[in-house]
Amino acid sequence: MTIATSSSTAAAAAEEGVPAPALTPIVALHAVTKVYAPGRAALTEVNLFIPEGDFVFLVGPSGAGKTTLIKLLIRDELPTSGQVIVAGQDLARVKGRDVPRLRRKVGTVFQDYKLLPNKDVYENVAFALEVTGTPGRIIRPAVERVLAIVGLTLAAKQLPAQLSGGEQQRTAIARALVHEPKVIIADEPTGNLDPLIAWEIIQLLLRINELGTTVLMATHNADVVTALRKRVVALEDGHVVRDEVGGAYHREYW
Amino acid sequence: MIRFLLFSMKRAWEGFWRNIVMSLAATATMVLMLLLLAGLLIVVTGLNAGLDYFESKVEVTAFVRDGASQARISEVMDKVRAMPDVAGVAFVAKDEAIQRFREYNAARGQTDLTDVLPWNPLPASIEVDLADPLVYAQVANTLKDERDVVENVVENQSVVNALLTVTNTMRLGGTVVLGLVGITVFFIVINTIRLAVVARAREIEIMRLVGASDAFIRWPFVFEGIFVGLLGAVVTLGLLVLAYEPLSRVMFALFEVLPLRFGEFVLRDVALVVVAAGVALGGLGSYVSVRSYLRG
Repeated sequence: MTIATSSSTAAAAAEEGVPAPALTPIVALHAVTKVYAPGRAALTEVNLFIPEGDFVFLVGPSGAGKTTLIKLLIRDELPTSGQVIVAGQDLARVKGRDVPRLRRKVGTVFQDYKLLPNKDVYENVAFALEVTGTPGRIIRPAVERVLAIVGLTLAAKQLPAQLSGGEQQRTAIARALVHEPKVIIADEPTGNLDPLIAWEIIQLLLRINELGTTVLMATHNADVVTALRKRVVALEDGHVVRDEVGGAYHREYW
Repeated sequence: MIRFLLFSMKRAWEGFWRNIVMSLAATATMVLMLLLLAGLLIVVTGLNAGLDYFESKVEVTAFVRDGASQARISEVMDKVRAMPDVAGVAFVAKDEAIQRFREYNAARGQTDLTDVLPWNPLPASIEVDLADPLVYAQVANTLKDERDVVENVVENQSVVNALLTVTNTMRLGGTVVLGLVGITVFFIVINTIRLAVVARAREIEIMRLVGASDAFIRWPFVFEGIFVGLLGAVVTLGLLVLAYEPLSRVMFALFEVLPLRFGEFVLRDVALVVVAAGVALGGLGSYVSVRSYLRG
């Protein structure tokens, strides 16, 4: 089964101004084009519909537009044309000062972890709440909860430099989770990790997905994608060339 | 709001200590620049005070006709006194004039020959002190127009003009140099603070990613900048107080005519300028530096 039918129906419904029935889109792209320099489109007419609770792999060679797509989703960039909707908000209409509130609904995880080297695991996670003005009495239980989810309760007092790559990435995931986001966007989260640790991180993301958070993961890890048989969206040259549930990393002919 | 302030202060404090080398470099730059600014400010203020003194020495002297009535003389003096920028009007009687002349000659060691004259050849005069030498011509003309009282007005407009040209040029020069140094200080301090902020670009990026609002990102840096500015200002003032004694001696030697209370005025003004400049430069430098990361 492919998702193409439901996706195009939703797009059509959105155009008519009727909310898509049954499936609430957590992420929806309608005919999104992004052009950086004239004549070179990073994304061309991309349609993507991700219902709440989905787990989606975003695959494609370097330069296919994965990073651009992610930048659009966290409103680091705005599309040249088309519409990007995240958590019910049209990102083109989100004002600059409302972007921070949007980002709290979208957890982000990156290949290079992006941890603060002089703060320990607990502080790194708590930092995400502190900088958004969360009261102290809420911070402690929230941080302890997400550290338990990622299994780092015992490493709370350690600095990133004292952690393995996998533990650092789990810290980053805990930080992404602490705002209880509706969707987690992970850009090559296993890119710097060896296969075994990479599997651990994937297992963790799957568990988080089972707890109800939508996950969109851009990856080059063909083994993982092929083994899991989740929904796969393949980008090539800025076009969506494949969007199938139970897909493999590479195109399969049958 | 209080939580926000506490958070910002705490982060500013942390930021200062976690990047202590960078912070000290910024503070040291701040101190050097503030010293430069303060030193120049003192010199320029001294220069201006000296120029003011010379300008206050400009006066208009009008010789009074021998037959003029005392009533008319008073009338003319009142008229001049009512003019703007006239500091004082005095009448010098004939006796007083010859007295002065004798003292002047005696001081120069010349023989006094006025005794041999059967009458007093010197006219009485009206002397007008000017608050601003610019009104010289105006006052002189007003006096000249009173022909029944004033015989003639001592014509030294050209001397006054020369003095004004010199003092104005020096004032302008002082202001221009002060302005140029001010701009230099501004850019150097802002660049130094910018370096400290750039060193923490990653932190800003992370704060943005986790959904920190711009205020939460900006204000800790601004507070840190203000802190660096205050620290720099305090160190600068400490150095200035240490240097005050030898410095004021040099200043009084340089500009002999300085008013006695000049020292404390300058110290108060300089202290204000140093603290204000430190805080403003530190805060503004951080604000501008963080701004480029918050855009887009």
